[in-house]
Amino acid sequence: MNVDVIHDNLLYFLVGAYPHGPLGGAALTLLLSVLSASLSAILGLVFGVALVLTRGVAHTTLLLFLGFFRAIPVIMLIFWVYFLLPILFKVDVPGLFTVVCALSLIGGAYLAHSVSAGISSLPAGQWQAGRALGLNTVQIMTSIILPQALPVMLPSFINQWVALIKDTSLAYVIGVAELSFVATQVSNRVMVHPTEIFLFVGLMYYVICATLELLANRVARRYDKHLRLDGK
Amino acid sequence: MPSSDFWLAPHYVGWLLQGFWVTIQLSLVVSFAATILGFLVCIARLSPFVCLAWPVRAYLSLFRNTPLLVQLFFWYFGASALMPPELVQWLNTQHILQLVLFDVQWPSFEMLAAFVGLTIYTTAFVAEELRSGVRAVRKGQWAAAASLGMSSMQVWRCVVMPQALRNTFPSLIGQYMNVIKNTSLTMAIGLAELSYASRQVETETFKTFQSFGIATLLYVLLVMLVEVGGQCLQRHRLQVRGGLS
Repeated sequence: MNVDVIHDNLLYFLVGAYPHGPLGGAALTLLLSVLSASLSAILGLVFGVALVLTRGVAHTTLLLFLGFFRAIPVIMLIFWVYFLLPILFKVDVPGLFTVVCALSLIGGAYLAHSVSAGISSLPAGQWQAGRALGLNTVQIMTSIILPQALPVMLPSFINQWVALIKDTSLAYVIGVAELSFVATQVSNRVMVHPTEIFLFVGLMYYVICATLELLANRVARRYDKHLRLDGK
Repeated sequence: MPSSDFWLAPHYVGWLLQGFWVTIQLSLVVSFAATILGFLVCIARLSPFVCLAWPVRAYLSLFRNTPLLVQLFFWYFGASALMPPELVQWLNTQHILQLVLFDVQWPSFEMLAAFVGLTIYTTAFVAEELRSGVRAVRKGQWAAAASLGMSSMQVWRCVVMPQALRNTFPSLIGQYMNVIKNTSLTMAIGLAELSYASRQVETETFKTFQSFGIATLLYVLLVMLVEVGGQCLQRHRLQVRGGLS
């Protein structure tokens, strides 16, 4: 085991070429994951509410649309955005945009189903009570249903964030300088210590993801207790 | 406008289909291995022996919380650096594996690294799904079986596992779908599967839409096939047993 290679490149692993160049490494991984997690949370909410409210053809179309994004590998979606958009619209698509776009679409498609399940798990009485008060569907959704459903969904949002942190490593295939890419760069440069480098990088991901997972479990347990007290 | 050169030349479609075949082989072998290993890991995780349960917990936590890509890099670059060069060379040459596992392109080190990486990663997820399936079996079931005088082995085999499997079945199908999608990451270590082939065809022909289109279609078809197959199997099993749950 050689720890010097880690020690010498520690700053590069953490922030990439910054401040002499663009931000990279673990910092870029976190930034990418935060951006795509927030976007996929918004998309998930919109699609999830739409799933609950639509019926018939619109519902089926939405299901097919979401099913498509759940069925294709992230790499294929990254390829589509990165290589096809420039041809279609004659625009240069930056790698960062590609990754955020692809990850938030896929993350949103996954979250939509848990959002719709969370909304459906509320007792029907909540809707009836809202109707009885003379509220319309949008009002019932925003002031009665979502405030109750969202805290329960919080753990699945955090778990989705953990999944997205792991998925940002796919930005490697289009050369975005996040943690995995930086690791292969260092590995290619020093040539001799790939084991140490990938162990260390794996450990960095582990620390970030395991911390968040712990947080998700804690939040879940808190609301679990909360709900059980309500039930009694 | 879509003239004869809109379509990919047949041999490029051939490349894509070859890649698809590698994807199918890898998915099948990994799903099979991960299911069996997942069973064993799940039993170890639930066992009362601390010396068995704790290492398994560490394994589950570690491999579920690191990206598959980094794990693949570790198995491909890291492991080959640890092994003696002669062994790597031996793994890369034609030998018995190819005879046993009919034309699976096994002798390549990429394939072995992809198989090991994907299997270890998937096993961790399968084991956790199975564990939550076991935990969903109600406590009364254990008590009832014990009061009938069953041994703990019998309780597992006849009472808990059948119910746990039924609970886990949908999420197991989900895991198999994930395996298919995850095989696309092995392109990063140079395995010529479907994503790799589509990228290669795209670079050679500049027909972005066609090459990625065919690859995407093949992925969606395969994933949908597994999903529909899983649903049919589940419905069939439920009918045979006469009723829901």
